[in-house]
Formats: sequence, structure tokens, C-alpha cells
Amino acid sequence: MSILPAMSRQGHHRSPNLILPTSLPTSPKKRQQNGIHLIRDKDVKDHHQQKNIKELSKEETATYQNSFKHSICIEMLRQGYHKSFSELFTLIHKWNALRDAGGPGSAIWQQKPLEEQHEKLDQLQHFLTRAEAAQRSGYYEEVYKNQFALAQYFKKVDDQWLSNHFYECCFQTAKQIKTDGGRKEAEANANLATMAEEHGQLEKAAAHYEAFYHLTVGRIWKDETGRTHNSLACENLWRIYTLLSDKMLENKEWQQAIKTLIKALDMAREGCDKKMEGEAAYQLGLAHISSGNPQIAIKYLNTYMEISKRLKDNVGLGKAYEAMAKALESQGKIVESIEYLENFIEVAKTSNLSQSLAETCICLGDIFNARGNYEKACQYFSQAYETAVNLGEVSLLEETQVHFGIAKAHRMMLAVSRHTEAADYVSMEYLLAWKKNRSDMFSDPANVVSLAPIEADSSKVCGNGEKLETALKNSE
Amino acid sequence: MANVNPLSNPKGVKRQCELCGSPAYVQCSGCKVTYYCDVGHQRTDWTSIHEKICQLLIPVRTPAPFLNSAAERAHAVDQLLQRKKHLIELTTKEAQRLLYEGHHVDAIPAATHSLSFSVDVYGLRSVELVPVYLILAEANIGLGHLTQAEEYLSHAYWTVLKSTDCSNSIRSKLHRNLGLLYSAKGEFEESLRHLSNDVYFASTVSGPSQISTSGGFFHMANIFFRQNRMDIADSLYSEVTDIWHAHLSRLVEVQIQASLRSVTVWFDDADQEYLDENQEAEALQVLSAIYDIREQAPKKEPNKMAKILHALTMLFFLSRDFNKASEWGKKLLPMTEQLARDDQSDSIAVLIENIEGKLNTKQVAYQQDT
Repeated sequence: MSILPAMSRQGHHRSPNLILPTSLPTSPKKRQQNGIHLIRDKDVKDHHQQKNIKELSKEETATYQNSFKHSICIEMLRQGYHKSFSELFTLIHKWNALRDAGGPGSAIWQQKPLEEQHEKLDQLQHFLTRAEAAQRSGYYEEVYKNQFALAQYFKKVDDQWLSNHFYECCFQTAKQIKTDGGRKEAEANANLATMAEEHGQLEKAAAHYEAFYHLTVGRIWKDETGRTHNSLACENLWRIYTLLSDKMLENKEWQQAIKTLIKALDMAREGCDKKMEGEAAYQLGLAHISSGNPQIAIKYLNTYMEISKRLKDNVGLGKAYEAMAKALESQGKIVESIEYLENFIEVAKTSNLSQSLAETCICLGDIFNARGNYEKACQYFSQAYETAVNLGEVSLLEETQVHFGIAKAHRMMLAVSRHTEAADYVSMEYLLAWKKNRSDMFSDPANVVSLAPIEADSSKVCGNGEKLETALKNSE
Repeated sequence: MANVNPLSNPKGVKRQCELCGSPAYVQCSGCKVTYYCDVGHQRTDWTSIHEKICQLLIPVRTPAPFLNSAAERAHAVDQLLQRKKHLIELTTKEAQRLLYEGHHVDAIPAATHSLSFSVDVYGLRSVELVPVYLILAEANIGLGHLTQAEEYLSHAYWTVLKSTDCSNSIRSKLHRNLGLLYSAKGEFEESLRHLSNDVYFASTVSGPSQISTSGGFFHMANIFFRQNRMDIADSLYSEVTDIWHAHLSRLVEVQIQASLRSVTVWFDDADQEYLDENQEAEALQVLSAIYDIREQAPKKEPNKMAKILHALTMLFFLSRDFNKASEWGKKLLPMTEQLARDDQSDSIAVLIENIEGKLNTKQVAYQQDT
């Protein structure tokens, strides 16, 4: 066999071809056949000699050649982790599909594709293969643990979509764990519910929390902080039900909301949390008031009042008085309602609850205003105004300004109309005088006496008028 | 057949055997452009491919006549190219068919022709060569010529590595063949690496749970089985069974729905999805192999048995072999009775009912004929 360099004439006779000669094997016999291997069943000679050039192994070259995703997939498949491979592959595929569906400009379009995030792929490979190994030998708890770790990891790196996916996986796995009496299943339900709540899917969250609740009834399982699972379930259910009812109230579905709130109240009672119970009762009271059922509302509000009193929760008490007054007002028992409110003002003053105090003053002022007792209305509104000034809260300040202005205007209106009705000379003079300087002389009961105090008073009232105007502008 | 003597050839002309390239002593009397070293090679070529392309070779191999105008010359070149492409298509198809039918020896000359024309038309480096290399390699593996097969596969592998526009389905096929080769040689690790690549590329085409991917899984399972890593093999076999089961169920569903719609089902819908011959053969091979393994396993798991039996029954139903289908169905029924009822048992009941229905109509037709 000739190993001399290719100097044969045949090579030169050919049409010049730049690529061909380099790739041809050294045997001239083969070159004639244009590199095709024909049948060699006669005098077969194997020209293959093992050349011991070992620089890189095949695995190493493959890692240089292929993408990271490719290498990871091959790594898993080689060890027989085909389920992990399918899972990873499908996840990447789904993510890309989601991205395409979102189109350019959507939030997901800006994110880095999953296949380029090597850290995440590494984590996926690690835990998925371990989960699969555990699954093969039937240790579902181990599977659960690994999937849970993945879910936690993705939650930590703020990948909602993936953590959601793995919480779902945990849930599916937990269903198959029979030995622990459903503890894992309960936990998986709680996790799913938390995720659903974060995404604003309240109905789904409620369903999962209900499952969590049913699974934990009568159990003494505790979480890391030492709280029983069941009380956790009660609290969460109470919260979800309250949120749900809020939504229903917004849509004016009173009966639905009341039903949900009753469930919330039951949960709160079962969770043995007085504060929650009070809240639920209060919400129920409010719902009954808006659905036009003050009688029942009063019953619930009484419960709330008692609980607040026992917990020494003055804010709660204030809210209770206020709601109670509203309920009584809509029943037409104004006197009692006023009584409650005045009660509360006392409470608020002593316990220094400026916010509630201002609100209640407004409330009382409103009532007196509506009943035509402008004098008293003015008095309460001014009290509210002062409190608001002390609080320094702009929105509240503006609100009280408007209320105060309206009440003052009402008070003035009475005197003006009286003078207009009288229609005698003195009254006319009076009205004209007022028109000229626009001072607050009608509000003075002894208005006939002199103009001097009126002038003195005018600056303050004018100030009030301006306040009213600015407040109105602001509130627009 | 006419004899030629190498010594009487015109100067500078070397006549070579079509198959082995050694000096020719025999000429084909049909086309007069093909030579062989002896009658044996001529006969081999004839049965494989030459019968089909004898006359087609004449215009390709006779020297082009002298043409005056440039347009005519260009036309002649173009025509020659078209003829060669036609030959490539014909020979590749023929080789593939022979391979499917299991005639490995006959497939090789056809594939060799295809390869030589492909090199002629597309050049040594083109991706078009890869399918032909794969046919040759498969035939050689079938014949046990592993060195030869490895050579072809290395060529194919190199071509694929160098090219950038190679489709993933071809890559998948290449790696499957490489995997099979190394598995035949007993190099399991290498084989697993290639089969993994096969699965990966097949998945990029259609997804990980499609029948095109299941072949890779099946071969991997076989290797794990031979390595005695039973839990992995078992899991993979289940995966393959699931893939086929899902696919067949969908087809059966379509067919049963179709038969409900119209009373006569003698004509299939043209657009209806069905199993082609290759898929049918693959399904039969894979599923029977898994069934045998499950049957021989020391510990039988009834739900896995039921699944594979169900898949086999569906396969025979789809290939219209109703006698066999009913036979497998009878094996399936006692299995399902052991298991808890689920939605599968309903579909099994419907399937068996359908099979019995077909059998009865067949018998009635037979009786009417006689």
C-alpha cells in the first residue's frame, strides 16, 4: 500500500477541484471510484486502522457542539430518565408557545427563554431526575419532596409560571401518598390555594382551602411555627370568603354575599379567633344593611360590639357604633341612632381616636343636616373640621370643609327665605345690605341689632366661603 | 450478455464491474453500457435494480453528442441532470422497499446506484446523501457487516455534522441507526448516547410523546433490559406502550365514529388518519416484543398487561385482521375483569363489540358466497 503523497497523474488530469483532493482517502484505488464504497465481497481489505489520537472524548466534543439544553436532555436520557426529559422538553415547548401566543410587546416576550437560563435548567435536571428515581421505586414522598423543592426554587427566583406548574405536580403526587393520612395532600392543597390567591383566582383558592380544611379537620398536624393546620385553614378560608363577599357586594349580589359571609363567620368561630369573628359579624351587619335588612344587621352588629368591647378595640367599637347608627337610621329610629353616635364620640375622645372621631362627627352632622337642625349640624361639622386640621389629612380636611360649608349655607338659607317672605321695608334693606357686603348677618339670631359685629364676623365667614369653593374645586 | 476482454478495450478506457470495480469481463446486452466482472454480480444487480433501470442508463452513460449552439448544450446538460435525478429517486425508493421487505442483500446494489448518482449530482458533501447512507447502513447491519455499516454511518454522521441545513428527522434517523449499530457491537454506553440523541431530535420534530419518538425509547429500553437495569427498562417499556396505546386509541376512536355515522364502511375517508405500512410493522414488532417481555416477567402486573393487550387488539383491529383481533381480545377480557372499572373498560367493551360485529358480517358474507 502506497503511503506516498498523492503525486499520481490522475489527480492532475482531473478538472481542478479545490475540495475534493483533501478529503479523499490516501488509497489511489478509491480515488478512482469517486469516494464511493462499492461492494467488496472479493478480497476485502479493511483499510481502517485504529489511530490512537485521543484528544477529546465524544461526550466532550458533543458538549462543545450542542446547545446546553441539548446536552442536558442527552445527559438525562442516557441514564434512562425519560420522564424527566419529557417534562423538561414539554415545559420549554409550552413556554415558547406561550411566548408566541403573547406576541411581541407582551411581558413574556421580554423574558429570557427558559432554554437559555442554564441555572434553572440545572435545577430542573437535578430535582426531576431525583424525583423520577424515587418514583420508579415507589417512594412518592421523596417525589413530593423533590417537586416541592422545585416549586420553592422557582418561587424564590420569581418564576410564577413554573412554580405554579410544580405546585400542581406536588398536588398530583400528594394524592398518591396514602401512608400519612392525607397530610401531604392537605399541604399541597394549601400551597395551590395560596398561589391561586396570589393570582386573584378567588374561587379556585376557596375550593383548595376547603379541601385543605376538610383534610385537616380533627387532626393535630402543625406547621413549622407550631400552628395547627386546621386553624390555619380556618383563617385562610375566612379571609377568602370575606374577599369573595366583597366582590359580590360590589356586584350587588346581596344574598350570595350574605351566604358567603355566614360561612366566613362559621370559619372564624371554628378557628376560635374572636377578632376574626367580630370582623365577620361586622361585615355581615354591613351586608344586611345594604340589602335593606336592618333588623338582622343590628343583631350581628351587637355581637361585634360585644366582641370589640371585650377586646378593648375602640376602633372596632367606633365602627360598630357607626354601623349601628346607620342601621337604626334606615329603620327610622333617629333618636337612638344619635344616641349611639354621641356614645361613640365620648369613646373616641377618651381614647384619642381622631380619625374615627372626625368620621363620626361628620356622620352626626349629616343626620342633623338631613333633619333640618342646621345649628347642631354646623356644630358637629366644625368639630370634625377641627379634628381634621389636627390630623393634617388633606382628603379628610377637604371633606369636612365641604360638609361644613353646606351646613352653613343651609343655616343661612333659612334666614334669607324668612326675610324674603316677610317682604317689608326693613327686611328688604337688610337683604340689600347683605348683598352689598356678603357678610354672614343672617346666621346671627339677633340680626337686627347692629352692623358692627356683623362686619367683624364677616372676615371669618368669607374665609369659610372661600374654603367651600376651593374644597368644591378640589373634590371635582 | 456479451463477453468482453479487458485487453481489447480501446486505449485509455477502463471497464469496471458495476458492483465491485474490478476489471470487467461481461457486458449487459440490454443497455450495452454496463459491465460486470462475472455473471454472479450481473445476476445480483439484475434482481436488485438493473432490471428497472437498464434502459434508463443508456442516455446517461453514452457520451453526449456534439451540439452547435450554446442553448442546445445547456438544454442537454439540463436534461442529463433531470434524468439523473429521476434515477436517484427511483433507485432510492426501490432500495427502501427492498429493505422494508427484508431483502437486505438485494437492497445494497440499488442503494449503491443511488449513492453514486447522488454524489454525481449533489456532490460528496450534501445532505441528500445521508438517507442513502442510512439505507446502506441498515442493510449492512441486517447482514451483520458491522464494519461496513459503521463506515457508511460515519460518512453520514460527518456529512450531517458539517452541514447546517439538515432536518431534525434525518438527524434522528441517523442517530437511531448509529445506536442500533453500537448496540449490535455491544457498546452499550455509546449506543445509549446515540439513541438519546435520536429521542431528542425526534422530539424536536413532533414532541416527546409521539410514535416517531417511541422507537428511540424502545431501543433504549432494550439496552437497559440487556444491562439488567430492569426498573428503567420497565419504565421505558411502559412509556412506549402508553404512546402506542394513545395513538391507536385515537385511530380506533375515529374509525368507530366513522362506522357509526354511515352503515357501510367499505370506503375510508381520504383525509382520515391511518397507520401506514411501516408504522404498522413497527407497531407489531414493538408491541409483540413488549408483550413477550411482560409475559415472561416473574411478577405480572395486570394493569400493564391489560394495556399492552389492549394496544395489540387495537392494532389488529386497525389492520383489519379481525380473527387475530378477537383472539387477543379474548386474552384481554379476563385481564380487565381483575382490574377496577374505569373509562378504559368502556372503550375496551366497545372495541370488542365492534370486532365481533365485523367477524359476523364476514362470516355472513362468506356463507352467502358459498
